[in-house]
Amino acid sequence: MMDQVILCLCACATWLDIAMVIALCALILSGLPVAFTLAGTALLFALIGLAMGVLDVTFITEPYPIRIFGIIKNQVLLAVPLFVLMGVILERAKLAEELLETTARLFGPMPGGLGIGVMLVGALLAASTGIVGATVVTMGLLSLPTMLKRGYSPALSSGSIAAAGTLGQVIPPSIVLILLGDVMSNAYQEAQISQGIFSPEPISVGDLFAGALIPGFLLVGIYLAYLGVIALIRPQMSPAVPSEDRYSLQEGLSAAIKTLPAPLLLIVAVLGSILTGAATATEASAIGAVGAALIAGSKKAIASGRARQLAIAGIAAAIVLILLVGQFDLRLGREAALPDQIAIVLALLATAVLAAGTLASVWSLWKDCLWDVLQRTTEVTSMVFTILIGAALFSLVFRGLGGDDTVASALEAAPGGVVGALLAVMVVMFVLGFFLDFIEITLVVVPLVAPPLLMAGVDPVWLGVLMAVNLQTSFLTPPFGFALFYLRGVAPPEVPTTAIYKGAMPFVGIQIAMLIILAFWPDLATWLPERIYG
Amino acid sequence: MNEFLLPLLFLCGLMAPLAISAVTGDQRVELWLDRVVRGAFALSSVCVLVLMLVQVAVVILRSVFSISFIWLQESTLYLFGAMFLLSSGALLLTEGHVRVDIFYGKLTAQQRHMVDLAGMVLFVLPVSALIILVSWNYVMTSWAQLERSQEASGIHAVFLMKSMIPAFATLLILAAELRIIDLIRRLRTAE
Repeated sequence: MMDQVILCLCACATWLDIAMVIALCALILSGLPVAFTLAGTALLFALIGLAMGVLDVTFITEPYPIRIFGIIKNQVLLAVPLFVLMGVILERAKLAEELLETTARLFGPMPGGLGIGVMLVGALLAASTGIVGATVVTMGLLSLPTMLKRGYSPALSSGSIAAAGTLGQVIPPSIVLILLGDVMSNAYQEAQISQGIFSPEPISVGDLFAGALIPGFLLVGIYLAYLGVIALIRPQMSPAVPSEDRYSLQEGLSAAIKTLPAPLLLIVAVLGSILTGAATATEASAIGAVGAALIAGSKKAIASGRARQLAIAGIAAAIVLILLVGQFDLRLGREAALPDQIAIVLALLATAVLAAGTLASVWSLWKDCLWDVLQRTTEVTSMVFTILIGAALFSLVFRGLGGDDTVASALEAAPGGVVGALLAVMVVMFVLGFFLDFIEITLVVVPLVAPPLLMAGVDPVWLGVLMAVNLQTSFLTPPFGFALFYLRGVAPPEVPTTAIYKGAMPFVGIQIAMLIILAFWPDLATWLPERIYG
Repeated sequence: MNEFLLPLLFLCGLMAPLAISAVTGDQRVELWLDRVVRGAFALSSVCVLVLMLVQVAVVILRSVFSISFIWLQESTLYLFGAMFLLSSGALLLTEGHVRVDIFYGKLTAQQRHMVDLAGMVLFVLPVSALIILVSWNYVMTSWAQLERSQEASGIHAVFLMKSMIPAFATLLILAAELRIIDLIRRLRTAE
């Protein structure tokens, strides 16, 4: 009798890893905070594993504190709080409102123009904030009522807003890509080491940013083309702004000159410094945050008098500094030629002005909303990293129970070899995207499925971009897509939920087409990083 | 087993506020817990601002003037660690930890309190206790040798950086106790 019980338990032991995943899904759906559900489930199954004698306790006790310490020491992840800070500052500086107003003036008179303007602003906001929820909510609050008032069909308006909002995931710099880059580079090293390559090739967040750039722009392009086609064949869905409400071209252009340069400059500076290799993602995030503070500090609504002038001078100084770095050798402590010496003096001056401008902006923001901004940034960052700490325990226990072997053999057994395995992973991630946020999927699922795929020869950058676009599609897909939930939350009650669903469908179709294009032309993702980083 | 004696004693000490509050019903316990947890959160928020300024200074010094100070570079890691580790506890109080509310959103207030209470008692407290137990020796070893940075001109306080790990768990426990006291009160008054 006892023997049979033990035999039965041993049979169960091999299923513990799978039971653990099922338990996790059930408990997450119960509505407990995800970070602690991950860690708590892990703890529960660690205890079961210990009791059954199938888990070695040193699998957890030794590496867990080292893992947590590894998160603190991770330079790449340091980019997350600073990019969040940049996004929150821009949000509070009412950047979105101004941009939307400007594009309404510029594009409004054209049939379908308002929709195209909203899509462009969405792409710009996506690039500058990188937080999906925030972009969808902001645009839903600001542009949905305007579009409806102008006679746009509720489905088309809500669909384009949700689609524009989710662009934040694939257009760099995005938080998803930073986390994905970190996870992917660990997985890639692991895959190479277990193949006997002991000086593994690294991949960086910069690689992933560069890889996502072309697919991201392509996606925006197809969205715009779709809106254009709709305006041509179904003009009643996206009419032009009536003539009495039009602004003159002059007014439109002057509004554009006032509002567009600052955010564009910021994005070019941040992305440019990463893509040219002048700065790491972390360094660029600091540039982005300070740039956002300067932009906010130069706004009439936030700053005034001397402080505002200093902030504007700071922006100018930053531009001077960038130009000087490109032209001269500014290293200190050497015998420099005269032009270089002059340039060094200028650079020192510009740095001083930039510092003064930054402090002035911080001072103006302090009087306005800085404390809220800092608290919000801390909350978002802490939420992400607590999940990271919980996921670390989950993956340690899952591996201790043999879960990585189970995943690897399941992927090997998938029909159709690597392609089949890749397809299976994509489908699973797509479905998980209905229930889980991108952070959980990236931190929990990707480390498990990526190493076997990478060992089978899948390109890490391509895989990362595919996953990012896939998750974006998932967030847009009715009835569970996150972006649609966010939009429902802020849409006026006269927009029926079915309209939101109907409007999202064509964009989901475009996304899936994009995935298929990417699947057949991996060069779209891998060409740019290879050109830049060699 | 001896190695777990000290951290276990520490954990028992950490549970004191809950015990005192349960026995005496003294509201000052909650006041103090709240102050400690929110104080740590305020410290984290300040760290964000300092982190931005320090990191941009590092970038300008390096990319413009080709100067780098290892201690300045290392200080960003201390700030980064402090900002997410010391703030996590406060997020329990402000509902900042993300949850999936497909079903949770449809529950009544009472049912939600039950779920929250279960989460605190079954997940947050045990997980935090685990983190303290497994990191105790790791941190103590570091303190015993006052662990230095690997770089000669770095910040020689790696033991402090490592101490933030048990501090993270400690703040989580304190915040969870506050939530437990509050949730039990809400569940009782509704009856």
